[in-house]
This record gives sequence, C-alpha cells and structure tokens, in this order.
Amino acid sequence: MSEKIFGYAGQILRIDLSKKKILKEPLRKDFIKKYIGCTGYAAAILWYELKPKIDPLSPNNKIIFSTGPLTGTFCPCSGSYEICFKSPLTNAFGESRSGGIFGPKMKYAGFDHIIIEGKSDKPVYIWINNGEVEIKDAQHLYGKTVHETTEIILEEIKEPKASVACIGPAGEKLVRFAAVMNDRDRAAGRCGGGAVMGSKNLKAIAINGEKDIEIANPEKFYEFVTEAKNALLKKTALRRFGTINAITVLNAMGALPTKYGYTGFFERAEDVSSERLLSKYLIKRRACFACPIGCGRYSEVKHGIWATPPHEGPEFETTDMLGPWINISNLEAIIKANYLCNNYGLDTISTGNVIAFAIECYEKGWIKEDLVKGIKLEWNNPETMIELIKLIAKREGIGDLLAEGVMRAAEKIGYGAPELALHTKGLEMPAHDPRGETRILAIKYAVEYRGGCHVHSGFPGLYDRSPESLNDYGLKEFGLPWPPKGKFIEEGKGIAYRFFAIFGQIPEIMGMCQFASMGSEGNMITIKDYAKIYSSLTGIEMDEYELMKIGERVYNLKRCFNVREGFNRKDDKLPKRMYEPIATGPVKGECVKNLDLMLNEFYESMGWDIKTGIPTFEKLKELGLEDVAEELRKNSIF
Amino acid sequence: MWKNIIIHPEKCTGCHLCELYCSFHHFKINNPSRSRIHVIRSEPYIDSPILCIQCGLCIDFCPVGAIIRNKKNGAINVLIDKCIGCAQCVFVCPYGAATIDPITKKALICDLCNGEPECVKNCPEKVLEYVDATKAVYYKNLIISKLLKKESIPLEPYPK
Ligand code: SF4
Ligand code: SF4
Ligand code: SF4
Repeated sequence: MSEKIFGYAGQILRIDLSKKKILKEPLRKDFIKKYIGCTGYAAAILWYELKPKIDPLSPNNKIIFSTGPLTGTFCPCSGSYEICFKSPLTNAFGESRSGGIFGPKMKYAGFDHIIIEGKSDKPVYIWINNGEVEIKDAQHLYGKTVHETTEIILEEIKEPKASVACIGPAGEKLVRFAAVMNDRDRAAGRCGGGAVMGSKNLKAIAINGEKDIEIANPEKFYEFVTEAKNALLKKTALRRFGTINAITVLNAMGALPTKYGYTGFFERAEDVSSERLLSKYLIKRRACFACPIGCGRYSEVKHGIWATPPHEGPEFETTDMLGPWINISNLEAIIKANYLCNNYGLDTISTGNVIAFAIECYEKGWIKEDLVKGIKLEWNNPETMIELIKLIAKREGIGDLLAEGVMRAAEKIGYGAPELALHTKGLEMPAHDPRGETRILAIKYAVEYRGGCHVHSGFPGLYDRSPESLNDYGLKEFGLPWPPKGKFIEEGKGIAYRFFAIFGQIPEIMGMCQFASMGSEGNMITIKDYAKIYSSLTGIEMDEYELMKIGERVYNLKRCFNVREGFNRKDDKLPKRMYEPIATGPVKGECVKNLDLMLNEFYESMGWDIKTGIPTFEKLKELGLEDVAEELRKNSIF
Repeated sequence: MWKNIIIHPEKCTGCHLCELYCSFHHFKINNPSRSRIHVIRSEPYIDSPILCIQCGLCIDFCPVGAIIRNKKNGAINVLIDKCIGCAQCVFVCPYGAATIDPITKKALICDLCNGEPECVKNCPEKVLEYVDATKAVYYKNLIISKLLKKESIPLEPYPK
C-alpha cells in the first residue's frame, strides 16, 4: 500500500467492458494536488485518455463515476457523485451530478472513481462489494424500468443495503438525453450519460461497502462540519417547500418559463405550486445522504388516470418543464410524467423542452402530419405529453426524432426550427429564463462548457436577482462586484460571472451538492469553509486562495477539452428567442440585449483571448496547464 | 433518573447523519456501517432510525460477560477487550440494534454516548429525543400500539 491519503478512498477502479478486464489503480497524488477530485479529477482523465473528435456513443468514449474527498463524510450535503464523459448531446465535456447514497457507497467500497471503457458484447451489470468486482449478465434486465431493474438486482445480489445506479429503456435505446438513475429516483440527468452507458451495453452498477473514510484531524473536522450543518439548517424555505417553491417565486417575478419561452407568466401557477403539492400529493420529504436540507419530495397520486406509486419528486425543474413550459397545469399529470421519466430514465428538463419544441414546430406547420400519426400536438394537453414521453423512451414514431434532442431534431425538421430550438451547444435550456429572471444567466448559458445549464458551474441566479440581494456567496472579498447592479443590467455581468464559474467548481470537485454553496456567509458553505474542511479532512494544507486557483484550473481544463473538440467563441451563443421580448406578465418586453458585451467582459476577466474565447497559452501556463497548452498548440489552436 | 432515546419516525428524511455522527463519536472516522443506530429505507414510505432501547437482554446472553450495564446512565456498555465477536447479542436483540463491527469484528451496541447522545444532538429533523425513562414509556407504547394495529405511521411532510 502506498502512503495513506486521508479523506480519499485512494483507489480507482477501471473496467474495460470489451476485454472484461478489471483493474485497480492507485489515486494519483499529483492529480489530487492539481484538481482535488470528482469532476476535476475526471476532467483530467478524459483530457489525457480520450482522443479528440471521437463519437460519444462509440466504444472509444469513457464514462467515469466520480466522487470527491468530502463524499461519504459527515460534511453536510456531501452525498454526491458525478458522471463525466463526452456528451452525445453536445459533443462537448459532459458532466452530471446526482445525490442519494450511490456516491458514498463508492467510497465505502474503496473507490474514488470508476472508469468504464470499451463496450460489452452483451448486456451486463457490475456488482462491486467492498472492493470485490464482478461483471454479471444483464440480458434479463433489458427493457426493464429503473424501479424494476433496481428491485431485481437487489434481490439477486442479496444485499439490501447496496445502492444501484442504472439506466432505463431510454438509455438502452440511446436517447441522447437519457439519464443515469440511482437509488430509484435520483438522477444524473443532464448531458446524456444514460445513452453513453447504453452504448456500452452496461445496464447498471450495484455497489456496497463498509470501509472507513479516515480523517486527518478529527476534532477540527467535527467542529467545521457541524458548524456548516447548523448554517445549512437556516435554509428554511428550501427545507420546508423544496425546490418547487420556485414556481410561485419566479412567477411573481414574471420569470417562470411558460409555453416554450413565449412568456414568463403563467396564470395557473397556483395549480402547480408547492402548496398544491402538499395539499394532496406530498407524503413526506426525503434527503440525500448526509443532507440536513432535505429538499427532496416524496409523493404519489392515489387514484384516477394519473395514479402513481409513491416515488421521489417532483422537483422545480421537472414541474416547470413538464408543466407550464408545455402550458400544462395539471399537477397530477406532472407527477405521473415525472414518475415515467424516472422509470424510463429520461432527463426531465430535456424531455420537457423537446416536447414543447415539437408542439410549437407543429403549430407553425413545420412538422408534417405523417410523422405525427394522430397524436394531438397541442399545448395544455397532458395526454399528449405522456404519450410523447413513452414514444421518446422507446424511440417510436415521432419519438425517434425527438430522442435526438432539440438541436438535432431541429436540423432534420428544417424551416425555422433550428432558430427556434432553445438550447446552447445542444443542451436543452432549463426552467430559468435569462430574460425575465436575471441577466447573469445569459452569459452563463452562453459560455457554459456543458451547454444550456443553470447549475454547473455555480448557481449565480440568487446573487443577481435584485439590487437588494443579500447573497454574496462569500465572494465579495475576492472581488465579486458588490452590490449587484440590478438583474436587468448587462454591463458587468461578464465580470461577475467569472467568480461563479470559478467558485462553482469547488463544490463539484469536493463531491458536494451546489445547494450547500449558495447564499451568504452564515447560511452556506463558503470558499473559506471549504478550505478549512478540506484541510482538516485530508491533512493537506489548503487556503481559500489556493482553492480558487484550483477552481480556475479545473474550469479552464474543461474549457480546453471543448476547445480541442473545435469549440470557440462562435459556439458561445444564445437561441434567437432570448433576444425577443417576453410577451406578457410583470416584466413584459424584457430580453437579452448585448451578449457580446458580456462575453468580452468574461473572456477578458478570465484571461482568455477575446476574439476566439480560447484560454491563452500564457493563462494556461500560469495555471500549471503547460502540457494542455502544448497539446492545443499541436492541434494548431494557437 | 435514567433516560431513554425515543424516536418520532414520521419526521425522518433518511439522511443518515445520525449514523455518521454515531460512528464518528466512537471511532473518529466516517463510516455508517459502524454506527450503533441504523437508518432504514424501505419502499414504500418508510425512513426511520432503529435503535437500541437499552433493554439489556444481551447482557445475560453474552457467554464471556462482555456486556455490562453502566450504573451512571443505565446504558449498555460492551467491554471491547473481553468481546469475542460471537454475535450472541446480535442473535438475541429483538430490534436488530446490536451488530458486529465490520472492521473490528466486535459487538456494536449503543452506549448512549456516556449520557450525551451524539445522534440526538445532530439529527437535523429532531426525530430523536433523549427523555426521562417515564416519559419514554408513552412513546414506546405508542409505537407498539401502532404495530399492533398495523397502522402506518402518519408522516409529516414539512418540518415545523
Ligand atoms: S459479540 Fe461480544 S458482546 Fe456480543 S455476545 Fe458475543 S462476546 Fe458478548
Ligand atoms: S446514543 Fe450514541 S451510541 Fe447510541 S446510537 Fe446515538 S450516537 Fe450512537
Ligand atoms: S439524522 Fe434524523 S432525519 Fe437523519 S436519518 Fe437519522 S433520524 Fe432520520
């Protein structure tokens, strides 16, 4: 055994499904120093191991299940893992987080990362028990839903405490926005990791472990994380109402994305609110591992055509994307749709986006009748929504087209569809609208390495929502412009976003939930807290400045992954609708005005080339990424 | 007066923090498998901690006399040096609260953290309470009565 590393499991599991080879590798100390862990470490693996321009659904792609040093500890909100891969939606760097207990189980089983490569010739699943690894036949699981798969595997391995991450029928059918689901209803939803798993004929990973995660300085660690836990308990609204609370909050602002971005105001918002959920359908709250917030909902529809068994959700994104976004206000249908998406293994955000997109295309006459085959492609029709979810998951009829995601579907549909499609870089836009909510989201959606995403990296919405915002994310003293100038002011937002881009990497590479890291000192885990917690756990001395540097390094590395794939400034753009005024509601008429200004600001403050949006050679060198810069030079990017 | 831990399972979110604080308190590590309190998630509906009620059945069963009652706080204490890991205590415990530590292979039984239960202190949902034995009677009875009636425990969706 090599020298002990506190906090980490110290080992990587590498499974080549083509050759059925199982390898255990020591965790690289130099990588920990440079990238900490989780998506940072995984980004480095993908950078060094993936050849550029490969097909994401070919055996050449890899999918990495990654945890961070804090995963599995009693640091609050540390029950995370992320999957990293080249995304079949965007052809860019793909990552997606999920909670539950799968990540902690990885650490207890003795692995920080699990790298899956190659492709199995027949369906298999992997069973990892305290470091012992077995590749098992999964022929009998093909076509099974997520809940069914989970149940059958737990029965087979005879370990009820194991955690299962699997794909549903959508992943098997290579739906480009298929999710990886763990612990039944927890989703690593975005970017199409489920399709990558499906392309490898890997149905599931089941894992259990009972090993210790050791602590370098237990007394200090206890003190810091208990303090952090008590701070997070102050998030009373999120605890009490869950993320779905945002329905009424955003609607009051006129920023609840409705009818494929036609407006930000939904007259029937009350019908899909947190209060309505509580009044009839909510059974209780459910938390991820080590989470004192517990934003998770657990609900059911007892009777009627929308009846579902108890399951987790619906969260805010799901509720809006499968509700107001399609002009639907039937909460029972939304719960049912959530249940189906979870079971088919579909990302609810992309699913809702693509359904609304199809309806609008049809309304405009761009989709022909022979493709529709009698389905009523119309707004506010819950039956249609449910039908389309099934067709997409099975890739039948029009579902086959929509399963490609809005960007590819739009290309095939033609007419004005490519201009209409709400995505950036191919990732469908979620339920936050930069026009009505806050303009910092505009620059975020445009530049984000994984495409149109509101979470990774950073979650800047709260900072920017109003001039009276109290949410400085503990970044004031690092130079975050303060106070924020107002949510519709664009000037300066590129500079402000730099801080979220960099700080947003920290919870990720630590193995944490982003919800722990938004707000202000006293109700969140700040960069300073992370430095203290990390040092006491690992014994590796770390301060907040060093941590910010690492965040910047990781962000640049992910950007460089995309640059090597051919991405640059031309891809940092927004869909046309973002420049068109919001049609109704309190902020009627608002739209994005000057993205170029924000882009210039952002590139400049990041030390990137303004013309190309590519990190400069000097910047990369300064960040200790000389070899990355050299490789880009070899690819004649500089 | 000696005190008992009682549970209000209707509030539990299944976060496992009680397990993590318990195993940390005793071993200074992170590992819920070494906890003396066990969080159960059973579909549908159930998230609940299961814990030792300090009944002491195991005391008489231990073949080497490794289990004693702490006279100060009434807790079960396992004398680790004496324990031979035979799992007789695991066998007899009606609640499934006693287990064998996967690392040391010796018995794990709640010792009430010497009168200051870490799980109680750190549960974010106030599921756990440390109360005088007489008050605990009511809650013990309540849970048993619900089992008898086969009545599911009414769940509390929002924290108060
Ligand atoms: S496992 Fe240890 S404490 Fe339990 S009965 Fe055996 S010897 Fe006694
Ligand atoms: S009282 Fe202490 S030993 Fe007993 S379950 Fe709680 S934390 Fe564990
Ligand atoms: S800490 Fe409290 S809420 Fe969390 S699992 Fe334990 S009893 Fe349940």
